[in-house]
Amino acid sequence: MTAFTSADSKTAYETLPGQERFVAPVEQTPLQDVDSIDESAPATSMWADAWRTLRKNPLFVISGLLILFIIFVALFPQVFTHQDPNYCTLENSLGPSAKGHPFGFDTQGCDVFTRTVYGTRTSLSVGILTTILVMIIGTIIGALAGFFGGWIDAILSRGTDIFMAIPLLLGAIVVLQMFRTSSSIWKIVLVLALFGWTQTARIARSAVLETKNLEFNTAATSLGSTPIRNLMMHIMPNSLASIIVVTTTSLATYIVSEATLSFLGIGLPSTTVSWGGDISNAQTMLRTNPSVLFYPSVALAITSLAFIMMGDAVKDALDPKSRTS
Amino acid sequence: MSRETNNQDKVVAMQREQGPILEVKDLKVDFTTDEKHVVHAVRDASFSVYPGQWVAIVGESGSGKSTSAMAVLGLLPGTGKVTGGSIKLEGEEISRYSRKQYEEILGEKMGLVPQDPMSNLNPVWRIGTQVEEALKANHMDVSHEKRSKLAKALAGDDAVSIKSEDDETFIGSKELPELFKAAQKALTDSGVTSEALERHMDYFKKDWVAGSATRWLVADDLIKAGVDDDEAWSIAKRYVLGSTMNDRIAGLLDEAGLPDAATRARQFPHEFSGGMLQRALIAIGLACRPDLLIADEPTSALDVTVQKRILDHLHNLTDELGTAVLFITHDLGLAAERAQHIVVMYKGQVVESGPSLEVLQHPQHPYTKRLVAAAPSLASQRIVSAKEHGQDASSYMEHAVKSESTLKQGEHIITVSHLTKEFKLPRKRQMFKAVDDVSFSIKRGTTLAIVGESGSGKSTVANMVLKLLEPTSGTVTYEGKDIKDFKGRSLLDFRRHVQPVFQNPYGSLDPMFSIYRSIEEPLRIHKIGDKKSRQQRVSELLDLVKLPQSVMQRYPNELSGGQRQRIAIARAMALNPDVIVCDEAVSALDVLVQDQVLQLLNDLQAERGLSYLFITHDLAVVRQIADEVVVMQKGKLVEHATTDEVFDHPQKQYTRDLLDAIPGGDLRLGLD
Repeated sequence: MTAFTSADSKTAYETLPGQERFVAPVEQTPLQDVDSIDESAPATSMWADAWRTLRKNPLFVISGLLILFIIFVALFPQVFTHQDPNYCTLENSLGPSAKGHPFGFDTQGCDVFTRTVYGTRTSLSVGILTTILVMIIGTIIGALAGFFGGWIDAILSRGTDIFMAIPLLLGAIVVLQMFRTSSSIWKIVLVLALFGWTQTARIARSAVLETKNLEFNTAATSLGSTPIRNLMMHIMPNSLASIIVVTTTSLATYIVSEATLSFLGIGLPSTTVSWGGDISNAQTMLRTNPSVLFYPSVALAITSLAFIMMGDAVKDALDPKSRTS
Repeated sequence: MSRETNNQDKVVAMQREQGPILEVKDLKVDFTTDEKHVVHAVRDASFSVYPGQWVAIVGESGSGKSTSAMAVLGLLPGTGKVTGGSIKLEGEEISRYSRKQYEEILGEKMGLVPQDPMSNLNPVWRIGTQVEEALKANHMDVSHEKRSKLAKALAGDDAVSIKSEDDETFIGSKELPELFKAAQKALTDSGVTSEALERHMDYFKKDWVAGSATRWLVADDLIKAGVDDDEAWSIAKRYVLGSTMNDRIAGLLDEAGLPDAATRARQFPHEFSGGMLQRALIAIGLACRPDLLIADEPTSALDVTVQKRILDHLHNLTDELGTAVLFITHDLGLAAERAQHIVVMYKGQVVESGPSLEVLQHPQHPYTKRLVAAAPSLASQRIVSAKEHGQDASSYMEHAVKSESTLKQGEHIITVSHLTKEFKLPRKRQMFKAVDDVSFSIKRGTTLAIVGESGSGKSTVANMVLKLLEPTSGTVTYEGKDIKDFKGRSLLDFRRHVQPVFQNPYGSLDPMFSIYRSIEEPLRIHKIGDKKSRQQRVSELLDLVKLPQSVMQRYPNELSGGQRQRIAIARAMALNPDVIVCDEAVSALDVLVQDQVLQLLNDLQAERGLSYLFITHDLAVVRQIADEVVVMQKGKLVEHATTDEVFDHPQKQYTRDLLDAIPGGDLRLGLD
């Protein structure tokens, strides 16, 4: 092997065709200031950016409108029907649709349309309240585990694992047996939150672990910031996006879970109007009178679909990496 | 010298006769963004590469240098498309090739050594398997060598003698022991002394690598050792019968400079260091003996000394094989040192091209001039040459090194003594000494640079000085007080006076904070002033780092690396500190931006009497900013002296190695 040719000998190099000295005219590529700032572009934060992406996403627009409509129905059911959902007369049992009763009547002679409309409130409150509760419990436990690490992490993470090992429905059935008599939706919310926070806690823990090691935290520490201040000012805001993404996508599952629990007869009593309860009552007439089952089921499907779509759109906007195109 | 020139003339004559291997003319590459905007990444770029030549494309990030290379390889990412111009490989137009056609020429005619060795090897496959994949994908004959016609001329007359195809058969590992036995016997028969016999056998053992050394080489070596021609050839023909796949893989890795290649081939990427991974990638890139190797910043992730070793090796290897290299780099010094022809790109256009030394010594385009003036690897040369010309050296420097007397008398603001930091290694009993008994002190108003390669412990020292890490033993004192004792109020006070600027401009600013909030944060933490006065202070700080007021409402993701680094400096300056610890603060920046940030740091020091602790791996940058230098290696302090001392009279071998490894350090550039 020869030593590689020294640089000086290259000066004697003959230029080959196509490799002659070339200097572009300066006008062609005018020099710009080193590292100048484009002041024309609008300033955007991450949230503003996410909002811009969301606005352009048809999935978001459709699900957003649907959710607004659903919320409106839940808040003002009277606008859609003037009847009492619990006013049932056996005369009307399984009656067909009539004027003012577009969906007909169920076995008990209750108006299906009115019950579907009023059922919205139950489903939506359960979904939203559970989500909020799950977010609070999960975020706190996950963030503490991720931030402090060590034995605190060990205890909290094993606790999370234990709760995760219990299947949601099985756990809910066992716990709800104890509250058979209560008719408040809170028992459902609490039970769902009790078994639902684990996923959020895991996500929060890993998000905090990831953000904790980023340089801006070290920078803040050396500015004199305390660890707790770092957690509140830097780590949590940066972890929030991934937490929001999981919780929005799971909102729909809570609505469905409530329906499932009510369907199994351990959820809300029949005095509380809910889609799950109605579907449960209607199942016996599936062959003879399917329409009674049909309407609450469709309402449930549309609502959960809207929230799932919303969750997907939010995920796309907040985490562009996960986008599939 | 005359023989070398002769040889070079011959090479040039052959190159002229064969014509360019790669000819790019008026190449246009467009990208389409999400919003359907068309971005012209490359505009009318033309350049050519001749067989056996090293051509460098130089430019900053975003100049289109990598995009041009990827266009040649047909590997444009995402929405990238060649929209005009022509790319000719050996005279054949390939820019309109389909994916399938490209697959045929990739590997065999064009090879790639990618930029980031960490992410370009599949972590779940053994290194050897990945080399094998390259060989199999191109249906390579693993028992015969393939060399370019030019190899002989490039490597000098007597180094390589190209024999007929048949003699290019490799040694197989199975026959190797018998070959050694036969060689020893032949040597004994030909009557060499036992001493010479041992010497020859040692040489053979080193030179005859299974899967890499060929039959003619064996014969050649034997003849040179004194065995007669017929005997030598009959031994070579009897025992050199072609290699197996595994031999060839080990041979290729060995050629790329991996020691103990056969064992290494069975290891996984995570067991390799960055330099070794890059060698493995070079082995893969050259596995099919391409005529053109495209190297996209092949060593920018590596330490300088490793970079030098790898490039020296690659240079020898490509010369031996007659491979042409298209070399993409941001480092002017590297381009000047390695390439015969240089192409300077700016904003997607070729602004200047020509013989590399001529272009860099007499730059004509204002952009090239600017680039040459800013390149730190060349700045060191400028100072020396100014001195040699008998002129006042300081007038050539942005920053005059403080005289020895001021350094001696100066008051110590930070003193580090016998600092040691041990870390516990996972799954291992013994402790790892990251920093081992390091002592130095920083004088008020001066800059002390700590230089070292990755793993030298320099950043650990910085973190201990910043009281972000507790030392295992030893002390750091700030203005005579041990920083270990700072707690609560006194710690807050210490934080106020000692501020850091970190390496990664993308990581050190909270993406959720607006620039205003980022710069205001230290004022808030230390409860200084009210809302109005803080706003006033932030706008002063922005003026200080020469950024417009309008950036206040912006977010870090909208700014470039250099701008973010200036924001980080503004934040560090908010509390009027005495000491700023810069941990690789300019390493991630392009030369021009780097120069700008260094100027800013120098100006601030001159205005406010700041003291800097400057951590860097780049000796060239040190010359521009430091008064004193501490060289660290593997946690230990190797050398501590003034900057001039270190550069002009390095005492330790390691320092000399580091200085030698500065690319283009011995070239005189920017003469105009």
